[in-house]
Amino acid sequence: MSEIRKPRALATQAAGKAGKFGRANLAATLKAKEEGKKVAYMYINNGQDEIVRAMDIVPAWSENFAGVCSAKRDAEKFLQKAEAENFSRSLCTYATCTIGFDIWREELGEIPPNTPWGGMGRPDMIIGSAQQLCDPRIKWPQATQHYLRDVPVWMGTMYYPPWDQISDHRDQEELYVKYATEELRALVRFCEQHTGKKMDWDRLEAIVNLSDRTWDVFIDTYELRMAIPTPMDTGDAMNTMVPLTFNLGTQEAYDFYKELYDELKEKIALKKGVTENEKYRLVWGAGLPSWFALSDFQYFNDKGAVFPVETTYRNAEKIERLDLPKTNDPLEHIAWRWVRIWTHWYDKARKRPGSLPKVERIIEYLEDYHCDGVVFHCAYSCRSWHAGIIQQEQVLKKAYGDVPTLIMEGDIVDISSYNEVDTHNRIDAFMETLGAMKRKERANSAGP
Amino acid sequence: MADEQLSGLATAAKYYSDYGSRARELKSMGKKVIGYFSSLCPVEILTAAGVVPVRMKGNVSEAITRADAYMETMICPFVRNVFDAAIKGKYRYLDGMVMPHQCDSLDRTSDIWDYNLGFQYYHFLNYPHLADDPSIEFTNEILRIFIGTLEKFTGRNITDQALADAVRAHNNNRRVMRELYGLRKEDVPRISGAEMMQVLIAAVSLPVDESTALIRRVTEEVTNRAPGFSAKKARIMLVGDQIDDIAIVNAIEGTGAHLVMDDLSVGSKMYWDDVAETGDLIQGITDRYLNKLKIPTTFVSAGNTYEENLEARFGHVKSHIKDFNVDGVILFIYKYCDPYGFEVPAIKSYIESVGTPVIYIEDEYSTSSLGRVKTRIEAFLEMIAG
Amino acid sequence: MTQVESGNYFAGVDIGSTMTKVVILGEGKEFCLIGPTGPEHRKMANRVMEEALRSASISLEDLTYIIATGYGRINVPFADRQVTEITCHAKGMARLIPSARTVIDIGGQDSKGIRLENGKVIDFVMNDKCAAGTGRFLEIIADALGVPLTKLGELSLSAEKPASISNTCTVFAEQEVISQLAAGESIPNLVAGIHQAAATRIHAMVSKLKFERDVAVTGGGAKNQGLVKALEAKFGFSLLIPGEPLVTGALGAALIGKEMCARAARKGVTLARKPRQLSEASFCC
Repeated sequence: MSEIRKPRALATQAAGKAGKFGRANLAATLKAKEEGKKVAYMYINNGQDEIVRAMDIVPAWSENFAGVCSAKRDAEKFLQKAEAENFSRSLCTYATCTIGFDIWREELGEIPPNTPWGGMGRPDMIIGSAQQLCDPRIKWPQATQHYLRDVPVWMGTMYYPPWDQISDHRDQEELYVKYATEELRALVRFCEQHTGKKMDWDRLEAIVNLSDRTWDVFIDTYELRMAIPTPMDTGDAMNTMVPLTFNLGTQEAYDFYKELYDELKEKIALKKGVTENEKYRLVWGAGLPSWFALSDFQYFNDKGAVFPVETTYRNAEKIERLDLPKTNDPLEHIAWRWVRIWTHWYDKARKRPGSLPKVERIIEYLEDYHCDGVVFHCAYSCRSWHAGIIQQEQVLKKAYGDVPTLIMEGDIVDISSYNEVDTHNRIDAFMETLGAMKRKERANSAGP
Repeated sequence: MADEQLSGLATAAKYYSDYGSRARELKSMGKKVIGYFSSLCPVEILTAAGVVPVRMKGNVSEAITRADAYMETMICPFVRNVFDAAIKGKYRYLDGMVMPHQCDSLDRTSDIWDYNLGFQYYHFLNYPHLADDPSIEFTNEILRIFIGTLEKFTGRNITDQALADAVRAHNNNRRVMRELYGLRKEDVPRISGAEMMQVLIAAVSLPVDESTALIRRVTEEVTNRAPGFSAKKARIMLVGDQIDDIAIVNAIEGTGAHLVMDDLSVGSKMYWDDVAETGDLIQGITDRYLNKLKIPTTFVSAGNTYEENLEARFGHVKSHIKDFNVDGVILFIYKYCDPYGFEVPAIKSYIESVGTPVIYIEDEYSTSSLGRVKTRIEAFLEMIAG
Repeated sequence: MTQVESGNYFAGVDIGSTMTKVVILGEGKEFCLIGPTGPEHRKMANRVMEEALRSASISLEDLTYIIATGYGRINVPFADRQVTEITCHAKGMARLIPSARTVIDIGGQDSKGIRLENGKVIDFVMNDKCAAGTGRFLEIIADALGVPLTKLGELSLSAEKPASISNTCTVFAEQEVISQLAAGESIPNLVAGIHQAAATRIHAMVSKLKFERDVAVTGGGAKNQGLVKALEAKFGFSLLIPGEPLVTGALGAALIGKEMCARAARKGVTLARKPRQLSEASFCC
């Protein structure tokens, strides 16, 4: 029924501009050869992007490419290409979509016809990240190399201390930072070897410094969304995440959030909200969205529900809140930032019996952003971000209280895992729950 | 040791079908029992701590009824099945659990196990996915942290001597199991695939010395069997992760083939490589589990070219095919498994390149679809027979 | 093929999830019988066999060798041997359409892709338990639309613009079809859309084979013109269909039996045979 789908209305000007970053990033991978630059396939939130920027390597963000194919509802042809090679349909569809594209581009010797946004250029290297984030990050580069055998694969790691109720993560942080720093140093050596250039450490330090400032302005901007009515919704944030996620360490990314900050300030002054009548405020509690069904955010908005905050793609924090140890080594600074972005929730979770760091984050957002409920999205093909959502929902209700919650189901790329009729039915039922809760609250506050 | 009157094979069959029964007996005698997942778990350390290690397994014939309220359906069907058993009380006898970081389905459900099963002891062992120098050093450290948590739990130190003894005992266990595997190289193997599976499963439910004694008894019994004579049957090797039930083995052997070898995480993967008994034992353990053990979640970058890497990743499969005279390989991969799923094209074409046919079967950890699986296996054997 | 002595008859019994097919090969003669499978495989196997024997004017004892195939193959007590439908389809198709290098079998519960060379299987794929791309998928949708299964093909040919069905999960697709119907989409367009969805799944599965032409289609799905048309659009060339696609497997089974007997005769051995009785004594399993 794609013909009758309403495109999502963007509440902010900035969200509209975010798409340009995505297009420009893909275009850069196609132009790189002419400009004598190397292209690296990379995977988001890897802690490696600042090094790559400092080495003038052009990152090709595979997840972004797959997301674009999904949003254009034009991924199926790539998924089938991968399926024909025996990649199961149950595997990460970001990976299988991109691998399908890679196989096809290799077959043709050029970008396959009608590839969304012109496709991605052939990489000169693949920089993987065996984080504690997701298995496809190690298997996908390997699987890609099966079809691009001449392209070197480098694999690094960035771990963080696992959450444990009974042991103090501080005892282990330095071990993890040391490990991550050494891995980053190995990446620098790999980049030097494959570009024939030496790392300019001053430049890297300046880029890392710019990233820190971008994190700060990003959080300052996003915290403006606490305003009632909220000036910006998660539906927009799924676009405005692009510069932070794919262009960290560039002046353009920093400027983008500066501009968004000003725009939100202006909207708040005018009391201009996402919807005319903001009835319910919701936390997007977890999950990557169904990119092909972003219009579902509009469906929420049309019913008076807005998302002033989301955990997804908020991969930043105010630097001062992380309390990072001083260091002159930019790599060690990246490592500390990485470790602390996870562990800085641990103390809070330890204070509330039966809680979890991920749940503490949701609770904090519920309170700070004055929200009424939590919506999760479970993407079928991605275990990394979506296994454990039921647990988060249960712990939230047990440790904090009976908050209305909804778990939606879909996929990041594969439309066949998504059921629009069922999704809208679930949203409708959730709205009724929220309405009942609001009425009860009003009745209670009116009181005897 | 229990059941001296039963034969080795009968004892294995008993421990296989009443899984964990020996651990429950030992528990009632005051021993502590620790369950663990994955071939990555350094069982030497558990043995040295004086606890009884038991490999967690599920039941392919049991439908998942309660786990769905805790775990999303796109999590590994094996992991969901085991959790279903645990939440139904089948692992109530465990004092604790070790969860090695192998894959997302374990990592991302770690809190679910920890929070809902109420074990006295729970440890997430944060293995890296790499085996480069910083990862080796890091792993040495996290193994020391692991040892510390066990010492706190049991209230006694793990001495260097205890660790050395445990390393030797487990190496010995691996050696006798390799000897038993060796009997499968004959034209008509002395031990069937189904019997072997029962031994493999019984072996990971016992203290190491009892396990070794059981394997020895089985080896002795089957060595004394009269050599078999039969028409040439297809010799099959099974490749996958935790296939821990005889249902699939029976499906293979029921069609008249011999299952002669495996590359499974409860099978040969566990037994082919030892821990160095000299030098720093922790370093030796790290080296065994990160470098020697070949599993898809540990990234291998040993070669200068992709082809050299393939050899480093799958070369052991090629050796098994040659040593055990394998005619065909069944690649049996669970649905929703990214680590194994992403290497299907690579391992399939690698094995085919040595001239051995491969059938790739994707299935769940359940006998519900066994009929369809059987048809595919039979057709594969008909195809090999030509 | 070795000439078989006169008076020899070979039978293939293919018990599919919905239909039971029997082929009897005599000298220069072929007899085919098709009947529904129903819940009691054995009883139906007996009935279809009896009718086939009647039309060949022979008795069960006259059958030299009987091979059972198909999903219910183990439930044929009088069969001398069981062979999978994959091997039988390859053999049967090699006889029916000698130029076929790839066979697509679209059955009631499953679909398969088979690559063959000289009547032998060299590779094959089979759908997982997901029903998309099988007869069952079409049956459920036909039910939801209130259309008889046999009319699907014809109906879809009158479609103006096939509806786009994004779901291949049977339950989801059913809901999607119902909601599009409610939104005013025409039944022929929906039926054509569902054929496209099924064809897409089948094409994706068969693509794992690195298939070669000619590609032939067999099984119940081959009788659905709408599905075949959608498949041809997906493959980009025409597909070959044997005269009676339902009996390919049973024919293959009979041929395999004949070959086995000939091979045994050359070696001077006799093949073991089951008692020739249509026993109804053991339904209970």
